[in-house]
Amino acid sequence: MYFLKEGFKNMAHNRMMTLASIGVLIAGMLLTGTAALFSMNVKLMVEEVGDSNVTTVYLDESITAEADAMAIGDELSKLGNVLTVDFYSRDDAIEEYREELGEEIFANMQGENNPLPHAFKVTFNDLSKYDETVQQIMAIEGVDSVGNTRDVANKLTSLNETITNLSIWIVIALAVISLFIISNTIRMSMFSRRFEISIMKSVGATNHFVRVPFIIEGMMIGLISGIIASGAMYFIYDILVSAINSIFVFNTIPFMSVFVYVAVGFIVAGMAIGVIGGAISIRKHLKKEGKEVLNW
Amino acid sequence: MIEFINVSKTFPEGNHAVENINLKIEDGEFVFIVGPSGAGKSTMLKLIMREETPSEGKVIVNGRDLTKMRRSQVPYLRRTMGIVFQDFRLIDKMTVFENVAFAMRVTGTKQSVIKKRVPYVLKLVGLERMGTRHPSELSGGEQQRVSLARALANEPSLIIADEPTGNVDPKRSYEIMNLLKEVNKMGTTVLVVTHEHNLVTKFNGRVIKMKRGKIVKDTAEEYYKERNKKERESEDRFAGFDEISENKTETTYSDNYDEIHERVNRLIKDIENEN
Repeated sequence: MYFLKEGFKNMAHNRMMTLASIGVLIAGMLLTGTAALFSMNVKLMVEEVGDSNVTTVYLDESITAEADAMAIGDELSKLGNVLTVDFYSRDDAIEEYREELGEEIFANMQGENNPLPHAFKVTFNDLSKYDETVQQIMAIEGVDSVGNTRDVANKLTSLNETITNLSIWIVIALAVISLFIISNTIRMSMFSRRFEISIMKSVGATNHFVRVPFIIEGMMIGLISGIIASGAMYFIYDILVSAINSIFVFNTIPFMSVFVYVAVGFIVAGMAIGVIGGAISIRKHLKKEGKEVLNW
Repeated sequence: MIEFINVSKTFPEGNHAVENINLKIEDGEFVFIVGPSGAGKSTMLKLIMREETPSEGKVIVNGRDLTKMRRSQVPYLRRTMGIVFQDFRLIDKMTVFENVAFAMRVTGTKQSVIKKRVPYVLKLVGLERMGTRHPSELSGGEQQRVSLARALANEPSLIIADEPTGNVDPKRSYEIMNLLKEVNKMGTTVLVVTHEHNLVTKFNGRVIKMKRGKIVKDTAEEYYKERNKKERESEDRFAGFDEISENKTETTYSDNYDEIHERVNRLIKDIENEN
């Protein structure tokens, strides 16, 4: 109880630095949280995309007759690794763009004027033989290209990796900055109480006794930052999700399902940084014992 | 008991703070350490408190060699000592009561004990009515008495007073010294660093004179002779007092503090009248 009271006293005494520390910690936590949640969502997308396992085979633009296209479709079905083959005509394709093009342009792109090729949507038996099968498909005369969602998945994965790598560095940098600011905050509160500390030491207080209120101060700064950041993360996640959805429409992770992890993570990380920051500065201070602690 | 065996302390800059000191202070002594500034007085106190360790030699306090003491043990050593600083070192945002209680709290004393002990020591120094005041509301002499009360809070066996009268007017200086004398009578060893010659001559005590890091005079022998003589002389004046102080370990604070307090006050008045 005594230690808690002293810890709070330190914080109240040192308001500006305490607020600065809380601010920096919150900023760090929010950036980390945003990066982590973004990455989790991208992973989910990659899984979804991967699950769909649909590869689109585009035919040469010169093949306009459906009968010619169907012949190629037959050849596709004959390939060992091909499971299903669905015809996706150029009329179906242009239909998908109807809304985007507007009725007038759409009307002008019918029949001979349709710029899109015929295509087949193909699924494979064994995805590990993907590249080999694609080569076989490309060898069929009349096939122009193979476009697939795998590319999207790969791109998302590499984007995710970039973000993860970048965020690791950002998190490390922010952790170091937070540690620095917290340890300075605690050093300031120690400085403002150095007189009391010198009296404590002279009457025989143990280092542990001197240390605990400052460690508690660091812990409380971490705890408060963790709680505020968890709340703020809820709103930021909302913005993040709508940003993601404006690019691709995918299922996103509902915040409430990860809230406990976010809150526990923030609070534990915040308190750990607070305790370490406090310990660093008090260690430095107590090492001066005999020189400046008693200040005699 | 404090023992210095061939103790030297050299600071990194190369100057010798104390040089080859040999000294023995028995339990219950009243010792003045005198000498000009830079004589090594404060270094001696720091060595006793183990704020410094000697470059050479041994410092033994209560049978323990401080040069071999682990750092984690130092707080427990300090709990056997009470320190009175020249500048009082009171925390102004705390009341007088809290200042004294603080010294007990930080050594992990129970609240129930603090509640009994603080009024006792405040009464002992004649400040029982000042508990709710803040140090800045008190005179220099009163502040030093609070500082003494704080030093006494943890029932030390040794009181170290570094220029206790340095910031106090002469009349109040006598009060402080009388209190220290009374504390000494209760069995506590008292070490007073001072440069006030009149205090040394007025108050009987062993005098250790230091100069340039060395002991140049030690009146241990005369002190013992004089003390025995004075004790005989003052038997009438303090009749009954010694019995009380001898029994202090067996009696509780509340059993005898009223009586001690009364005697201390009477003594202070007597000496003031004499002056």
